[in-house]
Amino acid sequence: MKTFDIAIIGGGPGGYEAAIRASSFGKKVALIESGHMGGTCLNTGCIPSKTLLRHSEILEDMKQAKDWGIETGDLKLDWSKMASRQNKVVRTLRSGVEGLMKKHKVTVLRGKGYLEPQNAPEGHTINVISDKEEEKIEAAKVIIATGSKPSLPPIEGLDDVDVHTSDSIFSIEELPSSIVIVGGGIIGVEFATIFSSLGVHVTIVELGERLIPTEDEEAASVIRDKLKKSGVDVRVNLSVASVAKEASGKSTRVLLSDESSLETDMLLVATGRHPNTEVIQNTSIDLQKGYIKTNGKLETSLPGVYAIGDVNGKIQLAHTASAEGLVAVNNASGKPVQTIDYHTVPKCVYTLPEIASVGLTEEEARSSYKDVKVSKIPYSSNGKALSSGNTEGFVKIVAEEQFGEILGVTMVGSHVTEMISESVAFMNLEGTVEELAQTVHPHPTLSEAMFEAANNWLNMGIHH
Amino acid sequence: MANEIFMPKLSSTMEEGVILDWFKEEGDEIETGEPIFEIMTDKINIEVESYHDGILLKKYFHKDDTVPVNHVIGFIGEQGEEVPDTPPASDEESSADESSSPEQETAAPAQEPETEVSTEKVRATPAARAAAREKNVSLHNVSGSGPKGRIHKADVLSSGSQGKSTPLAEKMASHHGIDTKNVEGTGAGGKVMKNDINALLAESSENRPENVTESLRGVRKVTAERMADSSSTIPHVTMDFEVDMEQVIRLREALKSSVEKATGQKLSYNEIFVLAVSKALQRHPDINITYDKETITYHNEVNVGVAVAVEENLYVPVLKNTERKSLSMLADELKPLIFNTREGRIDSASMQGGTFTISNLGMFAIDSFTPIINKPQGAILGISRMKEVPVVKEGEVKVSSVTTFSLSFDHRVINGAPAAAFCTTLKNLLEEPYELLV
Repeated sequence: MKTFDIAIIGGGPGGYEAAIRASSFGKKVALIESGHMGGTCLNTGCIPSKTLLRHSEILEDMKQAKDWGIETGDLKLDWSKMASRQNKVVRTLRSGVEGLMKKHKVTVLRGKGYLEPQNAPEGHTINVISDKEEEKIEAAKVIIATGSKPSLPPIEGLDDVDVHTSDSIFSIEELPSSIVIVGGGIIGVEFATIFSSLGVHVTIVELGERLIPTEDEEAASVIRDKLKKSGVDVRVNLSVASVAKEASGKSTRVLLSDESSLETDMLLVATGRHPNTEVIQNTSIDLQKGYIKTNGKLETSLPGVYAIGDVNGKIQLAHTASAEGLVAVNNASGKPVQTIDYHTVPKCVYTLPEIASVGLTEEEARSSYKDVKVSKIPYSSNGKALSSGNTEGFVKIVAEEQFGEILGVTMVGSHVTEMISESVAFMNLEGTVEELAQTVHPHPTLSEAMFEAANNWLNMGIHH
Repeated sequence: MANEIFMPKLSSTMEEGVILDWFKEEGDEIETGEPIFEIMTDKINIEVESYHDGILLKKYFHKDDTVPVNHVIGFIGEQGEEVPDTPPASDEESSADESSSPEQETAAPAQEPETEVSTEKVRATPAARAAAREKNVSLHNVSGSGPKGRIHKADVLSSGSQGKSTPLAEKMASHHGIDTKNVEGTGAGGKVMKNDINALLAESSENRPENVTESLRGVRKVTAERMADSSSTIPHVTMDFEVDMEQVIRLREALKSSVEKATGQKLSYNEIFVLAVSKALQRHPDINITYDKETITYHNEVNVGVAVAVEENLYVPVLKNTERKSLSMLADELKPLIFNTREGRIDSASMQGGTFTISNLGMFAIDSFTPIINKPQGAILGISRMKEVPVVKEGEVKVSSVTTFSLSFDHRVINGAPAAAFCTTLKNLLEEPYELLV
């Protein structure tokens, strides 16, 4: 039986980064992956969606450019070329990850990994099952990084119609004329942005009272207004009662909870993700609300077995998985224990404009701190935003009044997903509004809005 | 260039000095050797003389400010010269170093050994000293990697990572009066983070309830001021003397029922003490006095104040003309007076005119204490608990109840001998109390 110091089950952004770190610690590492290296993020998530969103961005710019006197004649969209660029980007990155595995001498085992019941106090056995063979390996420490998959809600008739999730939507061969997106969370609004910019008639059906309920309300309403302006039909406080194939066989009829109905070319369900916990089905490792339960060290109830990323249910974001992977490897390698400060994990929503946030929303801050002061600066007063024609959005600093502790930052607008890192660094290093206000920001940049917001918070705003 | 004025280090143990007075104002001309200000250390007061001619350009500290040694207090220079608005960082090392001369001399007598400037020397390269000044790092806290522990610039720079804290942690620490140097940091390189401060606060709040801060008002404020005034202006001398209480106990037992019958009040030791004190004061009029600035008043009447504690407050109601009163009259008067005081029903007239005060802590486990004189009176008697101790009587060891009495007197107006004589009289009266009834 092959033995390893550390075996990592799952080759997504959590797993493969953990493998590299473990290797650099001098460990003998196995990485078990049943599908493509890079996991959901690289293959059916972050990367392909951002590739497509770039197309949307260009289309938006071209529309705007027309008003500025730059005309290109009639627009022609070639979905197959867009899709092939998307696939090329994904393949390039995937082979990059595979190359990294080789470079760091990580043994990649193809197949699904199942943790065997522990029969020796030291070491764990993993059964790696592929189509062709079954192989058992042994590892002193195990990191479970199996991620999650899209979950389908119990909707009547769902089994009898063609339904897409984020797993399959990137492989469509041609654009539909209309699409109904069930779920108005982050995934739902990103796809709504992509499809509406490509001329597809989009309807979002959201159960809650607003889109992107995890984000700041003001930020979410900017996105809602923008989607509506682009012709997206936003239906909130509604659920899908049933779906059925139309007599023609081509389109799908969607019946909503208010008894209205929609006819659509394509149905995309983006209502959430379900953890992949089959890996521990033969063990007695504890679950919590369906996710693998971990402690602060990211160790499961079985000593020596760690769980990171979507499967532990903490924060379902690729960069959280990566950060957890590095911490889990550190702790599994017997180094001084590290933990993750989840308060400073940034979140990005890639719509047009984008949303980026870190820490508490204004609402959350007000409910847990006594004295909270908020400073909001609109993009419309920023020189760079005006000159580039990206005046939609704002930056908002939420800080505790006594010491100026930055509790949260929410940004909406062009390039905010790049800009949020400044706020993350400030929060991580515990800089306060005062230091932010004293930090020189380059001119002319969108980032000056942060400088302005900090000074405005201190009642010392220059332009506000 | 303007010359710095430093807080001088006058002894090896001196860490800070208090500015008692400035003799010069900003803009005043100063000559070398002229006193600029007076300071107080834990040991002495001293006038600090100027080492330079020029104009006093800047005073960073004011009267009563406490300033660490070698900290810049001000600048002397030429008219119109620019000096910083805030005092530059202190430079402990340079003046602790023999090679650099102190910026001013003190007017301390040369034979006073405590005024010698410390010669504790820190071995450091000039670059290290410059770096320490720039980074505001004390060289005393840096361990040197050079020969004989000499500190190099790199040592100073690397020491900077110790005792670091985040801006937020720094603000929280300063708000709560915590020195971050004493906090164990959990951040990168031991940096003190918000959570470290919170942990410290949580720990200290677990161990004890939150401190209560309130401003001193009313009786407490008056008491505080009077205590400080008395203690600081009167040279107190306290004499302790033990009194065998056996006879006092017997007297009280014997008279208890008749006093109760006559007055309805229970006879307590307090009345006996007041009576004995009154008789003794009559025999020693030089103790029954008040002293106000230049005049001593010898009082014919004896007015005895009795200290009464009511919650945090201290009241001293006064029994008037006690020299003329019997035990039952005293019981009849003192009991309601104390009761009313405790109930808060006492007017200020009832607390005036005292010529002597008794403070009885006999109900506590106190064996002796130093009472503070109730100005303008000349003396006060402290009474501690009664306890059984072996005493020698007629060549035999016996168990007897003994109480320590403590007389504090104002040595400006009462000498030791008359005070001791009064104590002896009082002791005799209490040990043979039937004389009281005469």
